[in-house]
Amino acid sequence: MVEHLETPREEFLASVRQALGRSAASPPVPPYPRLEESLADLETLERDLLARLETGRDARLEALAQTAARRGWNVKRAPDPEEALGYLDSVVTQLGVKRAVRSAEAVFQQLAVDSILQRLGIETTIIARDETGSDENRSGAALRQEMIDADIGITGADYAVTETGSVVVLPRAGLSRLVSLAPPVHLALVRPQDVVDTLDDVFLLRRLDYYRNGGDMGSYLNFITGPSRTADIEQTLVVGVHGPKEVHMIILG
Amino acid sequence: MPRVTTQNFFPASVLAVQNAQLQEALRRAGSGFDGARREAIEEVGQGSWDKWREEARQIKVHTLEHLDYYLELLAENVERAGGHVHFAKDAAQANAIVAELATSRRVKVAVKSKSMVSEELNLNEVLEENGVDVYETDLGEYIIQLAGETPSHLVAPALHKTKEEVAQLLHQKLGVPLTDDIEAMARVARDVLRDKFFQADLGISGANFLVAETGTLVIITNEGNGRLCTSAPPIHIGITGMEKVIPSLQDLAVFLRLLPRSATGQPLTSYVSMVSGPRRDGDEDGPEEFHLVLVDNGRSRLLADPDLRESLNCIRCGACLNICPVYQKVGGHAYGWVYPGPIGAVISPTLVGLKQAKDLPFASSLCGACREVCPVKINIPRMLLHQRHLLSESPDPAERSVTLSESLLARLFTIVMSKPTLLAAARKLVRLLARPWARNGTVRRAPLPPASRWTHQRDLPALPTRSFRDLWKQDLASSDRVTDGRDSDSGVSPTGSSEDPSPNRSEDG
Ligand code: SF4
Repeated sequence: MVEHLETPREEFLASVRQALGRSAASPPVPPYPRLEESLADLETLERDLLARLETGRDARLEALAQTAARRGWNVKRAPDPEEALGYLDSVVTQLGVKRAVRSAEAVFQQLAVDSILQRLGIETTIIARDETGSDENRSGAALRQEMIDADIGITGADYAVTETGSVVVLPRAGLSRLVSLAPPVHLALVRPQDVVDTLDDVFLLRRLDYYRNGGDMGSYLNFITGPSRTADIEQTLVVGVHGPKEVHMIILG
Repeated sequence: MPRVTTQNFFPASVLAVQNAQLQEALRRAGSGFDGARREAIEEVGQGSWDKWREEARQIKVHTLEHLDYYLELLAENVERAGGHVHFAKDAAQANAIVAELATSRRVKVAVKSKSMVSEELNLNEVLEENGVDVYETDLGEYIIQLAGETPSHLVAPALHKTKEEVAQLLHQKLGVPLTDDIEAMARVARDVLRDKFFQADLGISGANFLVAETGTLVIITNEGNGRLCTSAPPIHIGITGMEKVIPSLQDLAVFLRLLPRSATGQPLTSYVSMVSGPRRDGDEDGPEEFHLVLVDNGRSRLLADPDLRESLNCIRCGACLNICPVYQKVGGHAYGWVYPGPIGAVISPTLVGLKQAKDLPFASSLCGACREVCPVKINIPRMLLHQRHLLSESPDPAERSVTLSESLLARLFTIVMSKPTLLAAARKLVRLLARPWARNGTVRRAPLPPASRWTHQRDLPALPTRSFRDLWKQDLASSDRVTDGRDSDSGVSPTGSSEDPSPNRSEDG
């Protein structure tokens, strides 16, 4: 254990207090407004948010498509499933994909991704405990290796953000952290109902989840905004360093 | 490489200016970041931008005023998420905590995403001493780790290297063929590091923000190495300064709007990763252990000084470096410690000791550009002046920045300036004394400081034989206007401030 090496919390906080010229702990007065909001307050805000998202859907999806394209996504708007699958088909065919991994999420029930991959003879790994139960006899290490070896990783999106052109993924059961990260290509399927306007919208919804789940909103959250990139050598842009070099966003609407 | 060389700023900056390779690297970097920043602001409009800056500043000011409260809230919520929180008052403690966590878990390989705080602590060295192989995985950090150097910029650690130098380095250290293709160089790093991510027993990251409300660590990256470091290894240690905390998850939005735009001109980086504790039961993957190490290491001294507290608002975007005429000329290493540029000049003296860094508050022309670009509106020039004041008034002679002759000169100057007749006499005297040194309208080498310090680097325009005031007086007389009888020296003439520069004033540069 490391306790003997650290400064005890109370002592540390006392030294901070001393620097601030206070002798006792005292919460901010007046309290910080955002931290005063109750679950009911947040739910009111959520209602407003959902009402806003009910309107102007098409314009929102178009705005997302435009921003995302500027951030380096290859964007396809596909109002009907055939179009979406056709796009997927052309992407994997052009890339010559041999192995694919995909997460297990609701969107795959609505879109027959697997049948396309199967028809093309692509070896597909599904990160799925809940859907097929096939994960039971596969070790974590083996699963990881399949993600490292895959040519493409396919996921849904918990949210897509018009303001930034981002896709948000929340790793959890059925959704490895590596599906959208380890393979050189990532393809994200975005459902219209998951598209929000701003970063504030995402954070409001995450806070709600946090309070509804008794102070837990899951271990991880990623905003993905275009391909992996660097400009560390002479500020010259290079795409695809440790993450995917190529990213596709299919908007199902 | 010595850790703190802040005391050598002036000699180091002379060497930096003479270093052709560094000058070439700085020239190529040019105003790239700053130009991109400007464009990004133009896109959102100055009005929104200023509103965000003010909002962010207020959040920071509030949080720092109640830092004890928010640190406690943060710690509780990290623990609620299943993580562990460790408080370290100084570098030694922070390093000992991380080293102990590593050795007790038999860590052999650690991968790191970029963390300025770990550079501040010299963590890598301590881990290596404890038998851990540490790999920096940010491309810029990887390059300087291979070179055995330190970062020279907050955002682009290898800014001081040209691509030719990088190619040489990769060739020498890894045996790969020489190339001038930057993409190929990046691919080398990717290939080498890929295996390391999956071999590593430990991932170490810094933090851009810590959210007290939810116990969340936020990192903002472009390459994807931050995601791998926080996802692949079985243990994740986040290590960062205690000032990174913000109250609510919803406060994060404004900082995400400000930071990438200020740093690289991007509306958002490729990745924003938010870690709340270790993997949960049922998660497919992710670290089994999450530790957060919160470091003071001198920050409470900044917090305690009302004049310097706002320096803790800094979100390390690097915008003040990219605009600073001094940084752009001397690069980051001359500043002698991990935090270069204007913000480094402000915080290093307090963090490493005033005595050790007494040149740094003078590493600025006080032009004020840093203040204008700062996304959290930090008034850097004001703090530099404050540090200069502390240094000149210090009772400790080892801290005092001014020499006896300088302070005598300053005192003399005050006396002269407060008596018009003395000033008139002094002006005549200086004119007389300076005359023999002038050739063809310039003084190339003045005999005495402070004028000699000026002429060491450049010529001083010679004083004209007749002063502006004399000419003015003569002009008034010849145009036959009635003067009010005042000595022109006693009143402030409308153009009085454009009086010939006195050698005394050149000192300030
Ligand atoms: S002082 Fe301001 S401009 Fe400079 S790095 Fe910090 S936040 Fe950015």
